[in-house]
Amino acid sequence: MDEIQELMEDFLVEAFEMIEEMDQDLVELENSPDDLELLNKIFRVAHTIKGSGSFLNFDKLTRLTHHMEAVLDKARKGEFIITPEIMDVILESVDAMKGILEYIRDNGDDTAPDIDIEPIVVKLDALVNGKSDSDQNSTKSNSSKEDESSSKKVGNINLDEITLENADEIDLDSLEPEELDAVLEHLVSLRNKPADKSENKQKEESKEEPVKNENKEEKKEVAPVKGKNLTSEQKKKEVKKTISSVADQTIRVDVKRLDQLMNLIGELVLAKNRLIKIYNDVEERYEGEKFLEELNQVVSSISIVTTDLQIAVMKTRMLPIGKVFNKFPRLVRDLSRDLGKKVKLVIEGEDTELDKSIIEEIGDPLVHMIRNSIDHGVEKPEERKAKGKPEEGTVWLRAYNEGNMIVIEIKDDGNGMDPEVLKRKAIEKGIITESEALNMSDKEAFMLIFKPGFSTAAKVTSVSGRGVGMDVVKTNIEKLNGIIEVDSALGKGSTFKLKIPLTLAIIQALLVASQEDLFAVPLSNVIETVRIVEEDIYTIEGKSVLKLREEVLPLVNMADIFEIEKVLEPEKYLYVVILGLGATKVGLIVDRFIGQEEIVIKSLGEFLKGISGIAGATIRGDGRVTLIVDVGSLMRLAKETHNKKVVTDSLHEAKKKKEKPEDYTVMLVDDSAMDRKIMRNALEQLGINLVEAKDGVEALQKLKNSDVDAMLIDIEMPRMDGYTLAQEIRKYNKYRKLPLIAVTSRTTKSDRVRGVEVGMNEYITKPYTPEYLQNVVRRNLGL
Amino acid sequence: MGKLNEIVKQQQQSLTETEKNVSEDIVQLVGFVVGDEEFAVPILSIQEIIKPIEWTRVPFTPDYVLGVFNLRGNVLPVIDLRIKFGVSANEIDENTRFIVMKIKDEDVAFIIDRLTSALRVKKKNVLPPPDTYSNEDDIIEGVGRMDDGRIITILKVDNLIRRNDIVPGNEG
Repeated sequence: MDEIQELMEDFLVEAFEMIEEMDQDLVELENSPDDLELLNKIFRVAHTIKGSGSFLNFDKLTRLTHHMEAVLDKARKGEFIITPEIMDVILESVDAMKGILEYIRDNGDDTAPDIDIEPIVVKLDALVNGKSDSDQNSTKSNSSKEDESSSKKVGNINLDEITLENADEIDLDSLEPEELDAVLEHLVSLRNKPADKSENKQKEESKEEPVKNENKEEKKEVAPVKGKNLTSEQKKKEVKKTISSVADQTIRVDVKRLDQLMNLIGELVLAKNRLIKIYNDVEERYEGEKFLEELNQVVSSISIVTTDLQIAVMKTRMLPIGKVFNKFPRLVRDLSRDLGKKVKLVIEGEDTELDKSIIEEIGDPLVHMIRNSIDHGVEKPEERKAKGKPEEGTVWLRAYNEGNMIVIEIKDDGNGMDPEVLKRKAIEKGIITESEALNMSDKEAFMLIFKPGFSTAAKVTSVSGRGVGMDVVKTNIEKLNGIIEVDSALGKGSTFKLKIPLTLAIIQALLVASQEDLFAVPLSNVIETVRIVEEDIYTIEGKSVLKLREEVLPLVNMADIFEIEKVLEPEKYLYVVILGLGATKVGLIVDRFIGQEEIVIKSLGEFLKGISGIAGATIRGDGRVTLIVDVGSLMRLAKETHNKKVVTDSLHEAKKKKEKPEDYTVMLVDDSAMDRKIMRNALEQLGINLVEAKDGVEALQKLKNSDVDAMLIDIEMPRMDGYTLAQEIRKYNKYRKLPLIAVTSRTTKSDRVRGVEVGMNEYITKPYTPEYLQNVVRRNLGL
Repeated sequence: MGKLNEIVKQQQQSLTETEKNVSEDIVQLVGFVVGDEEFAVPILSIQEIIKPIEWTRVPFTPDYVLGVFNLRGNVLPVIDLRIKFGVSANEIDENTRFIVMKIKDEDVAFIIDRLTSALRVKKKNVLPPPDTYSNEDDIIEGVGRMDDGRIITILKVDNLIRRNDIVPGNEG
């Protein structure tokens, strides 16, 4: 049972692969109907499916493919030329075959009640009989005619008719020398093959009932039995040979295993990032030490190997995009016939490779875009003629690499798009307002076709207007972290570019901090980063914009988008990330750039996924979680925020100004109660608030819960000492400028240096006078 | 699950041989304090109990969703039951713990103030929640009466958080 199951799976995989190829070949065949090579190839596919199908007891499939084979066989022998009408029937039968195969895949048998093959069989039969009725029942006379083109015929002798059994009957004397040579050669080759042949025979005999029936049927129909059998057997062998030679070099692997491998690599990348971070920390502390050099070598070799490994595993998941492109020639052919247009499809770069998961997602959007190009782009032949263009329109489908992205280009030489018409339509449908339309560039206008509810087709055809609009295309592409670019010249044609990252799991990201929170922005959407001052921001009609070179960009504070509490005081310089998605650009104010990093995307889990603006999370080198922004929805949020918040206001929301001493709080950290008392006594006179903590751990906890303006820190403390405390505090963005004052009896120079290293601002040695302490604190608070 | 229950029961049996009441159905719970009330959850719903780990805030979530944290390479949400129950949040101290529980096949961590003990309650001593309890979200499984007279609220783990409350209008 299992064996049968396995066989069936192999059969299905093989069959679908062959069909995919066949589709493309068929369309090509229509253009060059006398391409014998092509015909033979297609014939073999039908033949192989028939053979394997009958072995697995798929009677319906066998019956259908048998009739297809008969038609193709005739065509192959040049008995009729393939016209579009004949092609329609053949394509129809290929569709039925696909349907049956799909049914087999899903249900395990080929009953496929929805698919009625009888009408198709009748049509196929009509082709076979109608065109060459007399040929059908005749025998040798026409078989020799059929074989005229084949190499099997030498002079007046048809080699196929000669077998070992009837060799004696040949009148050798009457043969020409070259005929004799050929006959002898043929006989030798026959004699050399008996082992093969008997094996095949045995196989055939051991096959189950239906196969025998099948064979009989074949014998009934095909005229010169012996010769015919030989050739078809040879063909079978040929096919088998090519298939087995390919099979030797490839292994089918469960995708789940590859996914697992990819996950492991992801973990490895995280560990590598962490290692690099640790190395950097160590490097700072032990500068000049010898072991650093060795550590450096290990770290860099690990990161090189990890990167190579990542690429290698990524490659195992890559498939040529031809897998998707293959179905388009057929689509274009059917569509153009339906619409009465003449369209030629030119495919380039089908070898370009993409991650399997992306390949699976990209098919539908592409179908839609090609439909769109043919339906809306390419004009009717008469119209084209009137414009002085060739009657046949061309659609180019092109794929190529561009950096870390794959670009898929869909270009047509049709009518192009008129930005003004698009704008007018969009206003009519209430998608944009008049004033928005005025400020719109042509490129932005082209992007309107991707808005929900926008359709320029005057009438709904079977092709467009199926309820799935171009907006779905855009969402799907954005889901893959991809972007769409449109360009169009009226009367000349349009170009759509889909830019898609090579893989989904690991991306390059720009890490930015908005207030305290870090975010990772996919680098593919970052156009540039700029540093500005507040004076660079203009406010137009209550909306903040940034003038960057010749462009005016909407400007939004990231903290406003994500409703992050503002704790940082505004600084002189503002940092802006220019995000681009298609033609839209937005300037995003952040508080700090952290840097560029390779990150592994992780899901936020069932409960948190789908939060607007957030695509997922990643784990950084220090083990913390950083959220990854979803640029598509972030842009939408940014637009909403842009409409209601003026950036210059938001920048000053941070903190109330402190003026009087009572507004300030200083924390005293010392494990000795007496030392705390001394400090308290000295500082109470200033009128400021005081908070006490008895060690580093407590201090850190209290710092997070209260608003502290300066800290006095003892060095020697249990649980967490003063150096470590300072180090921990400086890890927070918000405390980067918090004055930290060491108060200690350690007086050596190295102690002081260490203090500066960990981020202490001042160093007071015990004992000190109250006045001195007051002065230091006052200076640090700016009182 | 059933098998595990059996094994656990067998272990108890060997531990408490003096008592012969093992044939009675016993619920094993872990007790903890949130605010000033003691709660309990079935021991088998607990994946692990860990010391607090630093978390990252997530925007647009209710305030009881503190954020997400990294537990050995997995990103888990952390929920503050104190805020969820409307108790003023205590500071995090050495007794604070994260309880990681499985809710609908997803690990979720909950902050609690302190663990009390593992509890064994006879099933007959677990009563449905009294009407006076506010139990709109159906998060209370029942009320357990301990042998020492304490009353403990047993929580229905599966209902502690709901996706719809966290990310509204975003199904699946």
